[in-house]
Amino acid sequence: MLGFVIQRFLQAVVVMAAMSVIVFVGVYAIGNPVDIVIPPDATQDIREDAIRRLGLDRPLWEQYWIFATNALQGDFGRSFVYNIPVLELIGSRLPATLELVLISVVSATVLGVTLGIYAGYRPDSRISKTIMALSVLGFSVPSFWVGLILILTFAVSLGWLPAGGRGETVELLGIRWSFLTLDGLAHIALPAVNLALFKLAMMIRLARAGTREIMLTDTIKFARAAGLSEATILRRHLLKMISIPIVTVFGLELGSTLAFAVVTETIFSWPGVGKLIIDSISVLDRPVMVAYLILTAALFVTINFTVDLVFALIDPRIRARRTA
Amino acid sequence: MKHASKRNFFKAAVLCAGLASASGTAVAQTLTMGVRGGPESMDPHYSALGVHAAAAKHIFDTLVWSGTDLQIEPGLATSWRPIDEDTWEFKLREGVKFHDGSDFTAEDVKFSIERIPVVSGPTTTTIYVRRVAEVEIIDDYTLHIHTDGPASTLPNDFIRLFIVSSEAAADYSTPETAAGGFNSGAATIGTGPYKFVSWEPKGDLVLERFDDYWRGMGAWERVIRKEIPNDSSRLAALKAGQVDVINYVSSIDYLALANDPNVDSIIGDSVYIMNLQLDQREQTPKVYDNDGNPMAENPLRDLRVRQAIDHAIDRETMVEIVLEGLGKPANQLMPPGFFGSNAGIPMPEYNPDKARALLAEAGYPDGFKIDLYCTSDRLPGDGAICQGLGQMFTQVGIDTNVNAISRTVYFPAQANLEYSVFMNGWGTLTGEASYTLGGLAHSNNPEVKLGAFNRIQYKNEDVDRLLQAGATTLDADARRAMYEEAMALIMADKAYISIVQLQTVWAAKAGMVTFEPRYDEDTLAFFIRPAN
Repeated sequence: MLGFVIQRFLQAVVVMAAMSVIVFVGVYAIGNPVDIVIPPDATQDIREDAIRRLGLDRPLWEQYWIFATNALQGDFGRSFVYNIPVLELIGSRLPATLELVLISVVSATVLGVTLGIYAGYRPDSRISKTIMALSVLGFSVPSFWVGLILILTFAVSLGWLPAGGRGETVELLGIRWSFLTLDGLAHIALPAVNLALFKLAMMIRLARAGTREIMLTDTIKFARAAGLSEATILRRHLLKMISIPIVTVFGLELGSTLAFAVVTETIFSWPGVGKLIIDSISVLDRPVMVAYLILTAALFVTINFTVDLVFALIDPRIRARRTA
Repeated sequence: MKHASKRNFFKAAVLCAGLASASGTAVAQTLTMGVRGGPESMDPHYSALGVHAAAAKHIFDTLVWSGTDLQIEPGLATSWRPIDEDTWEFKLREGVKFHDGSDFTAEDVKFSIERIPVVSGPTTTTIYVRRVAEVEIIDDYTLHIHTDGPASTLPNDFIRLFIVSSEAAADYSTPETAAGGFNSGAATIGTGPYKFVSWEPKGDLVLERFDDYWRGMGAWERVIRKEIPNDSSRLAALKAGQVDVINYVSSIDYLALANDPNVDSIIGDSVYIMNLQLDQREQTPKVYDNDGNPMAENPLRDLRVRQAIDHAIDRETMVEIVLEGLGKPANQLMPPGFFGSNAGIPMPEYNPDKARALLAEAGYPDGFKIDLYCTSDRLPGDGAICQGLGQMFTQVGIDTNVNAISRTVYFPAQANLEYSVFMNGWGTLTGEASYTLGGLAHSNNPEVKLGAFNRIQYKNEDVDRLLQAGATTLDADARRAMYEEAMALIMADKAYISIVQLQTVWAAKAGMVTFEPRYDEDTLAFFIRPAN
């Protein structure tokens, strides 16, 4: 087990180092960030000065070396645009994304798995067919369009919910959260639904496919023969057996949504990290881009690792293999 | 607005949707503005970005004020005059109070000027004080500013010179401490119409009225400046009643708003003009013969080719069709009425036949091929204008491949001289010609600090001479004449071809506010008044 952890940790280090090099070289290839932010009446010497201040006059390898040595000491530098430490900037935006993503991914999973099991258990009922038809819709309609329609319907026409922003926040453990206030929840509702739709559809399909397959296996037949009630079979056997792919997808979706909820955050003006990274890319704010992507890599590695651990909890066969 | 949205939520709970349109009226003392961009810091000296200055103008005052038409007016300085070749005297307004109750004096001005080079970020504010050599305090309300040589545009440089309190900001004036001190509010003490309450980067800026403001009390007790970068979301927030006024309505939405009784739209002329720029180097990278091979000489160096390109542009169509009417044909690099704009320059004629004839005369009867580059995400309509230009050029025989790209890619490549034919907007934010002509039209010469944005290697000896003379002539009338002459020469050379002046649209809840649109597109709460 320890070997497994160390192996994963080394993998993470390699991925993060590679990520930082790619972003560094990529931004360098696009061009000089100073040319995007320099005011039009700047003279030649002012431009040179701005380039020097940001350290962009040094050769690329030297810029990278400075970055890497600082990063190893936990200092990712200061944002070119905001002049505040990058980690502080990302940290100030993370809670907003975290609460939005957790609410939408968790509710999509709970609801999606329930509906999916039903649709797989009773594949021919009318409700199941409706669920599956709707899941196709959830898959195929682009999320920015759904977002705009949600705003148009619930904010503009009906006026029930706000069109964007984070609403009132309350401080808990030194961090501001929206989900603890009524106003904040009203603000979360639409973007959370918008983010959840696609995941809901996917969870439904995964759970249904798994259910249909498992229901035909000997395990279920024997369980029935042993006289277990259908509810017990579903809860104790089926749910466990279909959960491996669901946990995998849940982990990946959680990660990708945390890192890239860009579209929803933009449409609903949600001040999360997705919007931050897009804004940073549009002005080539390299310290933010590099730090963000490195943290994203770390996030994915962590999530994958957690998923592996959960597998072992769910499936005794995996546990047995690993200890062997 | 918090109350309004909370009420909306309860309404949702009881499904009482009929009253939705009434939200917001109960909080008339608060003005909520939905704006596209926001400040990068609460430190006014950090960035020269337009949206940064627009936000700072709520809290801080500038030494010299720039009016709605961008011509200079008294601000914290009541008068100014050159007293010798390289000294300007500024008289300051007396009786002005900072938000903490302390008096505004010459010490604060000196402190602010000297602070700028230390704390400036990459969008550098040092341009405001680049000519200042030394600040000499004569008395509490008189300053002598010594410059490095004659600085004719010093008052124009000062339109974004924000004055911070020398006491409150004393401990927050190094690159490390500035952002923290100002973002927390500790140093955010100005003389402006509104006091700082709170700010989140890319989020809300909350302000409270400053009752002792020297221009008089603002109309709103509380102002919330919400950043909503997405155009559709901003409009949706207005329609949903979350915000009272928004800026930068897109031209498509503007057409739809004309039929909406709940929304007023306000149109203003913008300072931004779209200019086509034609590379003047002997070898240019993105012009090809009809077989796609590089050409031996750059056809854009031939005046007849440049005139042909000018005659190929149908500016009326550009305004009416491409911009949905939100613009005006432009014939020079600045809007009419600016210091140095030349009223005598004629509007170029749209004449495709003449364009073809000129191309044939220049030795290109079958035309040639160009790659046209422009931004697609910087100013309203930039990509669309570019597409329009491509079609117009192709009609006269210049086969045009249009590349409307992100400014993230465009500006670094443009600075690297990678383009031959390119278009982007230019706004004369100081309202005066040295800003624009000095940067674009003088040959690129670091020694005289001119021509830093001349990305086409345009050089006209007469223009260079006029612009250098203008930069050191303190007499305003003589200077104006020089810039007008230079403008006429530049536009006749057709290396810079101005196409359209943009217009900007604001939208507000019907019957709620009135204001005069500003050329620099700032949305300033103090100048927004309740309609009734």
